[in-house]
Amino acid sequence: MTRREGHVDDDLTALLDGALPGALQAEVEAHLASCPGCRAERDRIARALSALSSLPAPPAPAPGFEQRFYARLAREAPRNRSILDRLSARPLRWLVPSTGLAALLVAGIWIRRADERMDLEMARHLDLLENYVAVASLDAVETPEDVDVVSHLDELQEGRR
Amino acid sequence: MAPDPDAALMVAFQGGNEAAFRTLFERHGRATMAFCNRFVRDPARAEELAQDVFLKLHRSAGRYQPSARFTTFLYRIATNHCLNEVRRGEYQARPEIDPESEDGAPLDPDALPGRSATPEEAARGNALARDVAALLARLPESQRAAFVLARFEGLPYEEIADVLGTTVPSVKSLVHRATVSAARALEPWSSEGVTS
Repeated sequence: MTRREGHVDDDLTALLDGALPGALQAEVEAHLASCPGCRAERDRIARALSALSSLPAPPAPAPGFEQRFYARLAREAPRNRSILDRLSARPLRWLVPSTGLAALLVAGIWIRRADERMDLEMARHLDLLENYVAVASLDAVETPEDVDVVSHLDELQEGRR
Repeated sequence: MAPDPDAALMVAFQGGNEAAFRTLFERHGRATMAFCNRFVRDPARAEELAQDVFLKLHRSAGRYQPSARFTTFLYRIATNHCLNEVRRGEYQARPEIDPESEDGAPLDPDALPGRSATPEEAARGNALARDVAALLARLPESQRAAFVLARFEGLPYEEIADVLGTTVPSVKSLVHRATVSAARALEPWSSEGVTS
């Protein structure tokens, strides 16, 4: 409880914040009644808290605060949201293709060590890899669900046409 | 725990209600900017950080559990984002900022008392704000986060522990050490007679 033997320094802030359990609060207050040093420290902390309460209000945002955010939200969020909405609405639809993507990525590592015939196989799936690279560059791939989305970006684009 | 209307809005947003998300931003966006400003002392940057926080909230809404208070979830994202920002280091060398003149941003009229401050009161308040900003910049990051959440956001120790992912005794220690540092730094501002 104490930093200094027999004193209650470490509990004084919590006491002033009303955050001590009842029994401990009573114990600390009993000590304060008989210890001028701890009372002085309590008063010093209380004065600092009083000074903090007289701080001016924080700066207000410039006019158009909400509108600036909504504009940024419109630029950056709808794509993620709509794709995730579709994912959550039909989760099984993505299960098999996502397994396919995982297999493709593993195959990609193997292909790098194989011959030109395998490079051609990789080229057939270049659009898929480009999707992954493009989305990863946006820091949008954070979860396994995001990887699933990447594997079906083309389908989503076709669906919009 | 009392029903949390913000939690209901988050649940509505999880169900696809974008208007619910906008309501959350209208309720908490400005306070989040003020919170971020405690870390970066730059209103323009604080606004960007608050936007980042709400974009993260938008993206991670699916991880929100209605059993948690919305503000706890929001403060957790905001605290982590602000600490990551100040870890970049560029703010440590930044000169202290006069909150009124630094970029012309006015004080928030909604938070002012009923009458305007006198020039002397305004000057005193701005000087105090500079000293508090300097104090915050010197605190270790865990103390700084706990201190801001306790002193400026008014969170109880239990909620601060949830936000920081630590225990209540740890929060008690962090808040106490930061407050003792504040008592030392703000000695010139402390009026006599605050005793009980």
